[in-house]
Amino acid sequence: MNMRDALTGEVMWESGEWDCDLDEMEAQVPREILSCRQVSRELNFSSVEVMTSLRLVQSVIFKGEPLEEWNFHFGFVIPNSTNTWQQTIEAAEEEEMLPAELLSGNVVIETTFLDGDCPIMTQRVRIWYV
Amino acid sequence: MGLLNILKKMKKDEKEARILMLGLDNAGKTTILKTLSQEDISHIMPTQGFNIKSLVQEGFKLNVWDIGGQKTIRPYWSNYFESSDALVYVIDSSDRRRLEESGQELRELLAEDKLGGIPLLVFANKQDLLQATPADEIAAALDLASISDRTWTIQACSAKDGTGLEDGMQWLIGVINEKA
Repeated sequence: MNMRDALTGEVMWESGEWDCDLDEMEAQVPREILSCRQVSRELNFSSVEVMTSLRLVQSVIFKGEPLEEWNFHFGFVIPNSTNTWQQTIEAAEEEEMLPAELLSGNVVIETTFLDGDCPIMTQRVRIWYV
Repeated sequence: MGLLNILKKMKKDEKEARILMLGLDNAGKTTILKTLSQEDISHIMPTQGFNIKSLVQEGFKLNVWDIGGQKTIRPYWSNYFESSDALVYVIDSSDRRRLEESGQELRELLAEDKLGGIPLLVFANKQDLLQATPADEIAAALDLASISDRTWTIQACSAKDGTGLEDGMQWLIGVINEKA
């Protein structure tokens, strides 16, 4: 997974392998990302198996409350494939933005992959703005 | 520059658009997507699956699907046809040897029911290379003029320096917009 300033394409944060045994991962993200007007978040995943109906549910959780949720339907996944999904979002207006101090350590991005209705994995990343 | 800025010019009554990007391996599909987002293009590997870019602008969603073009992957292309609103077909203009093969793949795509009638943008990529065939010659070699069942255009471009990319995407999004 990585996060970029979508206006410059600059990678602000990147993390390689996900440890699926961990209940929660932590990410130290530079706080400058909060002042980016557009941010992109990219997920990179591989599958040995063919899948016919892959979808993803991604939620941003603030202090245990879901703030935003995205659903994305990938559908077919080619066997032995490596795939990416990059989502570009426009930041909230500056006055609506919560300050880094308040957000840091209180935001969790939860990503669940499902094939049809069958969950494959869930990954939680707690965000620290540094 | 960038897809999000092109998207800003769209009318907002259509909820979602899906653009399918295909072409032979090494045509430059992934590089086009990355250059449109100002991303580093120095370490691009052959796509072994798909790359999707999702953009959201005031409730309007644009999804661009770039599917790997290697021969072993092409049989899977048909899994991604459904509900596409436009087709972008990318050609390596410097690869004269495979121009015929590229044209053949395009003809097969245009014959697909699921892609019937949707607008077609052909990117004649790699125009920065000396040996590149000009876009009008590619159009003639592929007999694009005979396409009568859809709106189409060919756009000379260089994914490497960005020339022509925005023009092409702007045309395409404009056409999708008109249809909506």
